[in-house]
Formats: sequence, C-alpha cells, structure tokens
Amino acid sequence: MKKNIILALSAILAFASCEEFQPVFTGEYDKPQPQEPVVMTPNITIADITSYYTKGKPYTFVENLIIGGQISTTDQPGNFYKSFYIQDETGGMEIKIGRNALYNDYRPGQTIYVNCTDLTIGQYGQKDGQGNGMIQIGFSDPTGEYETSYIEVPVLIDSHVFKGQRSEGDQLPAPVVLSESQLPKSTDTQKTNKNIGRLVTLKDLSYTWVDGYGETQTAFTLLYLNSQQNKKASSNRIFISGTDTHINTWAMSKSLMSETLESGVWDSVNIGNANDYNYGKVGDVKYKGEDGSYPGIERAAASVSHYFKTSAGTCVQIRTSGFSKFCDTEIPADVLNGSKHINVTGILCLYQGKIQMVVNNIDDITYADGTPLK
Amino acid sequence: MKRLITLFAALCASVVMFAQDPTGGITGKVVNRQGRTPVEGAQVTVLKASVALDAVESASDGSFLFEGLEDGSYQLRVNAEGFLQQDIFVKVEKGFVRDIMFVTMTAVTTLDTTLDDSSFAEQDLLDTGYSDSPTILFDANDPFTNVVGYGFSSIRYKNRGYNSETQQVYLAGVPMNDALTGYSPYSLWSGLNEAMRSKDTSNGLAGMDVAPGSFNGVTNIHAVPSSVRPGWRFSILSNSAMYRLRLMANYASGVLDNGWSYAVNVSSRLGGNDWVKGVYYKTLSVYAGAEKSFDDYDKLALAVFAAPTERGSQNASTQEVYDLMGDNMYNSNWGYQNGKVRNSRVKRSFEPVFLAKYDLTPSEDFALSASLIFRTGRNGSTALDWYDAADPRPDYYRSLPSYAFMEDSDYNRQNEAKAAWATFCWTERGEEFNKYQHLDWDRLYNVNYMAGGRSKYAVEERHIDQNDLNLAVNAKWNMTNNITLRGGFNGKINRTEYYKVIDDLLGGEYFLNVDSFAERDFAANQGKLQNDLDYYLEHGEAEKITEGGKYGYDYLAQVRKANAWTSATARFGALTLNAALSAGVESFWREGLVRKGLFAGLDDNGREIVDPASGKVLTSYDSRGNVITSKGKSAVSTFGTGSAKLSASYDIPGGHRFSASAGYFLDAPKFSQSFISARTRNSLLEGLTNVKTLSTELSYQYFNNGYNIKLTGYYTAINDLSKVMSFYDDSQNSFTNFAMTGINQRHAGIELGAKIPLPVSGLSLSAVAAIGEHIYVGTPHMVQTVDNSSQIVREGDVPYWSSHPVYEVVGTTEDGTPIYNQDVDGNFVETGRVKHYVPSSPQLATELALNYNVNYWFFEVNAQYFDRSYLDMNPLYRTDFACAGGDGIVTPAEVEYMASQEKFAPAFLLNCSIGKSWYIRRQYQIGFSFEAKNLLNNTGVRTGGYEATRLISSYGKDRYYRFDSKYFYMPGANYMLNIYFRF
Repeated sequence: MKKNIILALSAILAFASCEEFQPVFTGEYDKPQPQEPVVMTPNITIADITSYYTKGKPYTFVENLIIGGQISTTDQPGNFYKSFYIQDETGGMEIKIGRNALYNDYRPGQTIYVNCTDLTIGQYGQKDGQGNGMIQIGFSDPTGEYETSYIEVPVLIDSHVFKGQRSEGDQLPAPVVLSESQLPKSTDTQKTNKNIGRLVTLKDLSYTWVDGYGETQTAFTLLYLNSQQNKKASSNRIFISGTDTHINTWAMSKSLMSETLESGVWDSVNIGNANDYNYGKVGDVKYKGEDGSYPGIERAAASVSHYFKTSAGTCVQIRTSGFSKFCDTEIPADVLNGSKHINVTGILCLYQGKIQMVVNNIDDITYADGTPLK
Repeated sequence: MKRLITLFAALCASVVMFAQDPTGGITGKVVNRQGRTPVEGAQVTVLKASVALDAVESASDGSFLFEGLEDGSYQLRVNAEGFLQQDIFVKVEKGFVRDIMFVTMTAVTTLDTTLDDSSFAEQDLLDTGYSDSPTILFDANDPFTNVVGYGFSSIRYKNRGYNSETQQVYLAGVPMNDALTGYSPYSLWSGLNEAMRSKDTSNGLAGMDVAPGSFNGVTNIHAVPSSVRPGWRFSILSNSAMYRLRLMANYASGVLDNGWSYAVNVSSRLGGNDWVKGVYYKTLSVYAGAEKSFDDYDKLALAVFAAPTERGSQNASTQEVYDLMGDNMYNSNWGYQNGKVRNSRVKRSFEPVFLAKYDLTPSEDFALSASLIFRTGRNGSTALDWYDAADPRPDYYRSLPSYAFMEDSDYNRQNEAKAAWATFCWTERGEEFNKYQHLDWDRLYNVNYMAGGRSKYAVEERHIDQNDLNLAVNAKWNMTNNITLRGGFNGKINRTEYYKVIDDLLGGEYFLNVDSFAERDFAANQGKLQNDLDYYLEHGEAEKITEGGKYGYDYLAQVRKANAWTSATARFGALTLNAALSAGVESFWREGLVRKGLFAGLDDNGREIVDPASGKVLTSYDSRGNVITSKGKSAVSTFGTGSAKLSASYDIPGGHRFSASAGYFLDAPKFSQSFISARTRNSLLEGLTNVKTLSTELSYQYFNNGYNIKLTGYYTAINDLSKVMSFYDDSQNSFTNFAMTGINQRHAGIELGAKIPLPVSGLSLSAVAAIGEHIYVGTPHMVQTVDNSSQIVREGDVPYWSSHPVYEVVGTTEDGTPIYNQDVDGNFVETGRVKHYVPSSPQLATELALNYNVNYWFFEVNAQYFDRSYLDMNPLYRTDFACAGGDGIVTPAEVEYMASQEKFAPAFLLNCSIGKSWYIRRQYQIGFSFEAKNLLNNTGVRTGGYEATRLISSYGKDRYYRFDSKYFYMPGANYMLNIYFRF
C-alpha cells in the first residue's frame, strides 16, 4: 500500500515541469550576453526612397527596400519624442517608431537599417501656398488625419528596424556647417536638398525676424483651452506671437506655462485664429472651469518657436518642445536684444516651407564665437 | 449502545462505591465550545496522581458521572474524536458529588488543508488593488461555517461580504490583526499547520474567552506547545493549484509527567503549479516551543516561530490579453532570462514571532493569562522600476491590438493593419515570440549595458518592516455556576518602516535617487526631483544607489493601541445572556526619514528651503497655507474606540436553539487608509473619522438525531470607511492618489447550513446556502491629488458610487440609439436606480455535498454554485466629471456606460475527495487524502479584479471611455494529494 502511494506521488511530481522549479533553485540569474549588431546592406538611399512619395499621397511599400544610416538625434533631453532621424550621405529621414525613451535601445550615432516593406512614407507639415514639410517613414494612417502613424507595435518595430554597429562613444555624426546657399527653399524636399533632415550647423543667427507683413516676430506658441477638444476650432486656440510674448525661455514646461498664464501677462491676448477673435480674451477665462476644478485654460507644456535670421535675412526658427528637459532655460538677454549672435546645431527641418532647427540638447546652441550661452 | 456503556460505567462505579464506600463524585457535561452543544461518546478518564482510576463515555446529552470518589484532588482527561484533549483539575470535598457543569471541548479540523495559502493571495494581490478575505472559519458543530471555511476558499468567498480586516485573529489571546492595514497576518505562520491547528473560532457576533468579539467572527490560535497534538507526524503533500510539494514534520510531547511540553513543527513548500506560470514557492516554516506546568495552578509557555518565504506572484491582466494568449491564467510578471523563468514580483519575508504566555489557574473557577508577543523582521516584495525608459510590462496597453483598432470610431483607433501585427505577436507561439508575450529580461540588461553605468531598469524591493510589541491580559471567572465574567486588557506598540531598496541593477552600476515622474514637470528645477533633498543639498547631486541601498521613500508608521474589555455570561435555565463592552484608544502618525524635493517643508531653523542651483523656493504649501512636509513627524491622529454587544440564546428541549445578538462598534481608521500619499508627505486625509458599525443577527439551530441545521439572518450597517488608492497614471505622468471618505455599506442576508443523515449508515448530505445583499449606500467624497504637486487635482462627491439612475427611454433612433425622456426643465427622467455592490465575493453561494464514511474511508462529492459577484469599482468612473465627458454634459447614455458596475458570470463547480487511513500494529497510522477540485475544468470563473483608474478621452469627442478592467481567475481542474504518517 505504501509503495502504491509513493508511486502515485512520484507520478504526480513527474508531471510537474522542470520550468516551475527553475526560480526555486536559481538564486542568481546569469547575465544575458550583449546583443550582437546586425549587418545588412541597404539597397536604396534615403534621397532615392523619397521618390516613392508624391505630395498628398502617402505610399505603403510592397517592395523590399532597405535604407541604412546613422542615428542623428537623441530623445534623451526630450526635444525629440517617439522617433529618431537617421541620415546617410544623401539625406536624413525621421523614423516614427512610437515608443518612449528610444535612446535606451537606439543609441546616438548607431547604424540603423530599416526594411521598408509594409511601412509607409508620407509628409508632415506641408501647407499649400506656404511650402513643404518633412517626408517621414512610419506606418499607414487610415484615418487620414496624418499621412503616417507611429510604427509602435513591438514586433513591427523589431521586424523592420534593425540595430547595426554603434558609433564610438555613442557619438552623433558630425554636423555639416551650411552656408546660405545650401539652405532649403520652401519647395525643397529630402529629394532635392540633401541637408533636410540631417544634423547641420547654422552660424551667426540673430534674434527676431520681420515677416512678409512687416511685423517683427520674436516667439510663437499655440495654446489650447482644452486639448481634448477640437484643436482646430478657433474657439479652442490661443496664439501667442509678435513682440510682446513674455516668453524668454526656449520653451515652457507645464509649470512655467501655468505661472506665466497666472501672472496675467497674457490676459489681453485674444482667443481664436487671427481672423476670428470672437471668444474673449485670455484674462476672461483663465480661471473658469466647467466643473469648477479645472481652470478654463488647460495648463500644459508649451512648445515654442523663436525667430532668428541668418546674416542674409533668411528666417530660421528654433523650435523647442515644452517636454524637453531644457525647455525652461532662459535665452540670454544679449541674444534676445540682438547684441549677440548664435550658432545652432540641430536637425534641419521644414515646416510649411519655413526652416526650423530642432536641437538635440541645449548646448547645441552657442554664441557665434562658439562659447556656451551665458 | 452508548446508554448501555454509561449504564455499565455507572454500574462499575457503583461497584467501586460499594467496595470502598466513599460517597464523593464528579459529574458534568461534555459540550462543544462552539454553541455548547453536547458531545456524545467522549472518553472521560479520572486520574489521581497520574494514575487512571476509571473511564466512562459521555451520554447523548454529553453527561457523565463518577461516583465513589474519596475526598481529594482529581484530574479529568476528556478525549473526543475531532476535539482537543482537555484536562481539568477538580477537588472532591466532604463526600459530595461535585458538579463541574461543563467541560468545553475545542474542535480541531480534520482535513489537512492548504487553506493558509489561499490567504496569501491577499498579500499577493494587494499591490494590484485586489483584496479578498481568507475564509478561515472552522467549527465542527456549525453546519454552515464548517463547509464555508474550506469549501468556499477557492472562489475567495468573503464571510457576509465583509472586508477581510474585520475578521479578528488572535494568537495566544493577543489580537494580531495588522496594525497598519487590519489584515489578518496569516503569512506569519503559514506552513505551520500542525502547531497552529488548535484554535477557537466564533462566527458573526459571537465572542470568546479572550475576546469580546466583533461582527465578523474571532479566531484565537492557541499556539502553545501543550495545545499541539502529541506524537510524531510526517506528511508529504502535492497540489497543482498553488505549489507542487510540501514536506512537513511535527513532534509534540503532550504534557509530560514532569510538567513540560515540547513541540516542534517544520515544513517547506516548494515549486510552482499547473496553472500560473512564474508562480513558485520556496519557503521554510519553523515552530519551536516549550511549556512548563509548575503545578496545577500556573504554567509558562515560550515559543518562537518564523516562516521565511520566497514566493513568485501573479498579476491580473485584461480580458483582451487573456483571450490573445488563450489562457485566463496568463501571468505578466515573468519572462525568460537566458532561457530561464524569472519572476519580477517576488515576495520575500522573514518575520520571526516571539511568544511568552503565562497562565494562572488558582482555582477551577478562575483563570488568568498574560501573553507577550513580539514580531519583527523584514517583509519585502520586488517589482521592476525604471527611469526614463519604456514600460517593460508585456501587457502594457499600447502593445495590444486594441490600442491600434477599436470598432467604435469614438476611440479614434482605426488602424486595422497595425492591430493585425499586434495580434500576430500575441497569438503566435514559439521562442521568438516570448519576448513580446513575457518580460524581456535580456533587453532590460542590454539597455543597462549601453547606458554607461546608470541602470535604466532595476528591480526594487519594497519593504514594510514591522516591529510589533503586544501585551494581552485575559481573565475568566466563573462567579457562580451560572454566571461567568471575562475581561482583559491589551496594548500594542507598532513601529513600521516603509522603504525600498535596489535589489538588482540588472547589469548596471547604480540607480539615481531622483523622482522620474517629477522630472517631466520640473525639468529645470533639480531640487524638486530629489527623493533625498538633504543629500542633494549637501553633495550637489543625487545619490547613486547601488544594490541594497535605500532609495525612493523611507518613512515610519507609528501606531499605539490600548483596549480594555469585559463580558458577562449568565445562564438562567435554558436562557443564556451575554453582554460585552470594550473601550480603547488608538493613535498613529507618520514620521518621514528623508526629505523629498517635492514637499521639502521648512529647514531645521523653520526657514523655507531654496534650491541653490536654480534659486527657486522648494517649500510648498497646501490650500490653507500650511507647509507640506515629507520629513519629520506628522500630526498625531487619535481615535477613541469601543464596542457594546448583547446576545441571548434560548434552548428548547429536543435540540432547538434560538439566539439573537446585536452590537455597535467604533473602530479607528487604519494608518494605510489615512494619508493622502504616505510615500511622499505627512498630509492626512481631511474628514477622517471613526468607522461605525451596527450589526445584528438572529439564528435558529436544530441539533438532534444526527440532524444539524442552522439558519441565520444578519443585518449590518458600516459607516464612514475611507479608502486610499495610489497608482501611476501615465496621462498625468505622475503617481496619482484617490482618497475617498464617507463610504457606507449595508450587509444583509441569510445563511443556511444543514447536515442530514441518510438511511445508509455513514452516508450524509450537507447543504449550505448564503444569500446576501451587500451594497453601498450614501455618497462618498473624493479627493484626487498627484505626487508632483500640492494641488488638489479634483475634489467632489462621488454621486454614482452607491448606485446609478435608470432613465426613462421613450424610443430609439434609426440606428438603435435610445432616446431618453426629459421633463419640462430638460432634466432626464429617472425611473429607478441600480444598486452597486460590495465587490469580489459571491453574494449567492451554495453547496450540496454527499459524504460517505466507512471503515476509515471517506468520500465526498460536492457541487457548488456561486453568483452575484461584482467587480471592485474605482471612484473616478462614478463622478459627474467622468460621466460628463469632453463636452462637460452628463447624459443618460454616459452614466449608464461609465457608472455601472460589472457583475461576474455565475459559476458551477464540482469537486470530490477521497481519503483513507490505516493503522499498522496499532501504533502507526498511515493515510492519504486526495482532493480533485473543479472537475468540470471551468476556467472561466472570475474571482476578482479591479477597474482601471483612467479615462480614454479621445480627442474631439463628447464622451469618455473606460480603460479595460483587469481580472483574476480561478484555476481549472486541480488536485491535492496528502500522504501522512503518524505515531
């Protein structure tokens, strides 16, 4: 009888998998090996792959096309978000990965291969009558709201974006110093100007720019009363622009935006688009809330464009995200008053035909003599 | 037959009497401690100087009689199947027959259960918002609790729907419920089944010798060596729903001639189970005790026990994930590291308990005991922590198909092609998909390798290390034959440190002690990010934490409790009356050990603190202008506590008993539910007040001719509960804290238990039904804060917490959308309200069982049916804010969608068990019990879960949507086999 019982028990224990006992007897886990870099051979350049795109018509690749290039951005300081740029000799391209803190997996300067099959190429920031934006690679967006969406799904990322050799010390590729003539026109794309989407340095920029209407522009930001409501509705928008913006930081964190709003310096700003000021002023609504708990204007991080011009007078915006870690850094007074000029290194972008420089980090902006700001 | 024996015994006694001619004697009744029902057939032995003189069996009414005893001191030893041995010292004087009235017997449970482990699940699931009650109720005589205690544990049945902290657990006369949460601390002695087997339990409003009782029963575990069943016992147990293997050995000496008793109990539980991968046990449990009976009047017991435990835990996921995996028992806590299973959430504890108990029994009518218990040690649970890196959890909502595509266009999720990719990576099976379906440890290490020393991912260990000192003194005095007084005093000093340490840097060199959630809002204000501001101010940078280093938060919870109580029982013939009173005081406060940058407070000189780097003032103030501090002592909250209780029972010959009880209880709020965010600051909840409970019960029991039927009705009103929930809200990029006050509950219902003998000898039928209505009433108040700010994010009533309205529908549109009726003022017309229920336990629970006992074999088959179990609610969805949506207008469709409470599907379960024991040479006993549960392999039984605490507020839409809820399921078919050997 005893024997039978023991037999039955050992039979049951035999059913137990070895895996379930692994954590029981494993005090220490061996450290995994570092991942080996992938080696692939691109079969098309970044400039050439943009040929698959025609304006307003995002294209989903069925061809087996592989582009390759070095990562030229980092999202660590937060000025880039959910995507990175890669660049080869022919141009730069944003890859819309769609995950946070990408720099942890995709190191600055690392060689990346993108197999574009099933991915979509499209443009962001184009506006008829004003000019082009940036051609990007992401996933399709059936809603049509944007031309591409984020790739996002882990298996989709891993099967299309491959990590090659890292650069020495995770160094970004060296920026190219551009002369005035190398700057893109509003009608250029990565196809026609190889500097678009690449890490470049622009030198000797001075603050403010006078627009086509003869008005001086310093900084620009767009606030929403409620970002959950229609962002295109005039009643939901507040444009802070012109010369009296009271913005003297590269961008505004939520707390700085909130402080500034409450200080009253924006109270006389109109709500609405420039041709539709029918919704009162900021000061009228900033404390009113639907349910009494939220103020009437949403406190949110604000991205800011600061207007600079080259020595030849070309407008160069420095666009900074309100989520970047350096957003609340003040712009030195001698830069704001025009007495000092700056150099800026960043990704050269077009937004509605205008040049926008997006920096990786605050030290990418220096005085024109190369010394750090302040 | 029994009568004949009694007759024969009486005959023998009379012969003895005739021979020696003394006239003294001892008479009494053997009764069950629970309910004082007679115990028939108990072996009663009378001893003098340890020599047995005579033995009789008790009659059907429990009575026994020894006659012909000389004057002098005697010892009565009473043994009965299913009860602990009882020794009583009696003096016979002046040749009278001494009537000792009652010998009360304490029932032991006969099934060797793994019940202690189901109670673990509670601790296990605390982190994820799950809460349930271990149903530890044993009462051999109560046909209801006898079944419910064990049979309903797998469904996580909560007695009368009460929160588990209302169940009082005493150890050696000391109240042991956790000082901070109120939870029953079963984990302290898990695995020590033999040492802790001997216990008294009462159900509902009943009290006992060491406690006045509350409204959800009392259990007093004796825990002294003399209460452990004597002999050697070994067992080996395997089960497929919890852990694979348990080995146990036990030795107890019983009371030796020299007055000493010894007991040792050792066990170990090892392995995983068939149902939840990643879950495993690696535990050792040890109990050792010695007790000395100095003379007949006093004894001293010393015992120490500990249950060092390591356990991998389970996590809840959404139904979408379970469906994709094709497995409702999917566990997102683990993944492969170098091909080996590793769980990220592991409980590790070592909490030794030291016990000293002194018993004084100067006379047979007076007993006094004093117990001192000290609990110390450490209690940790690990989890992944990360800084500025992607959420590593495999079932993160953005990795699921539903994040790319939802049918309803209101969600703005329209990418079917992307959803197909997400579905692909969850539904394909094979090694290359493990990293998507489970934690990808290899990736976490690789991220750290590349990060240049600073770990982006690490395993943290959260500690709740208690030092808990308790003193309890209890006395009992049989004032007259009919009146018994009891009373006592107990006090508790608890000092608990909450902190976390880095457990594993996962290939990195250090973890930086900053608050990553604060960084987003205060990027330019380094001081605000600091978890340890003082270190930063001194060193100019945040501390680099290495493995074993404290970081994050570190604070003390201090609790002081004192309580005195008394109860009186008086018997007037068939009527028994009991009254009990208690009064006490409870204080608690928080003491921050580090200064957090977000709530810097004032410096030692009472000045504001300024960050030297940014020049910004770090000191922050609440809405009343008071400084918010993280370091130092908070205000002390003090609450008076007390209770008053009356009960009566009346026996009618023929085995009928009626009883009625009522009680009022004033309890202090728990430390864990009293601070807005104890992790970060000293701020107490506003409006904190006593929990007030009024409870009544009525019961009828019939106990005769093998029938045992009990019917109980109860009604309980619990008012002013508070609840604090903290969780990471990635829409706020911050920890957010919900604090709810003024939660009121009503519990009403009936319980029926019946044991019915069948015509075949050894065959019986038992039936149990619990039908309750446990609901919320009233309108609680909610305050939402975030850790990043001193501001209140949202405050107000929670109007749809207790119920939500049903609106009158007057028709439908073409697409089937209902059109709701409105009155002349435009208000929607309500036609009624839908109640919301106290969650996570079936409000209808029934069982029908057939038992057969013959020749040391036992068989049981039972069928169970459970219904009306509800999902735990989050207060956010019951606010006007959530029901109003993006346009700020509350509509009937939104209320009915957002505020309604999910009801679980009913469950039908079939279980059976079989057992047998053999005696070998009348000295050794070997036996087994085998239990097969959930024979129909029903894998769709939800045992609990919780709602998400955030809203989908898709851009430009008028209404909000819920995030998916997460659920826990009961395992499918599973077995337990126990083989034991005793001598």
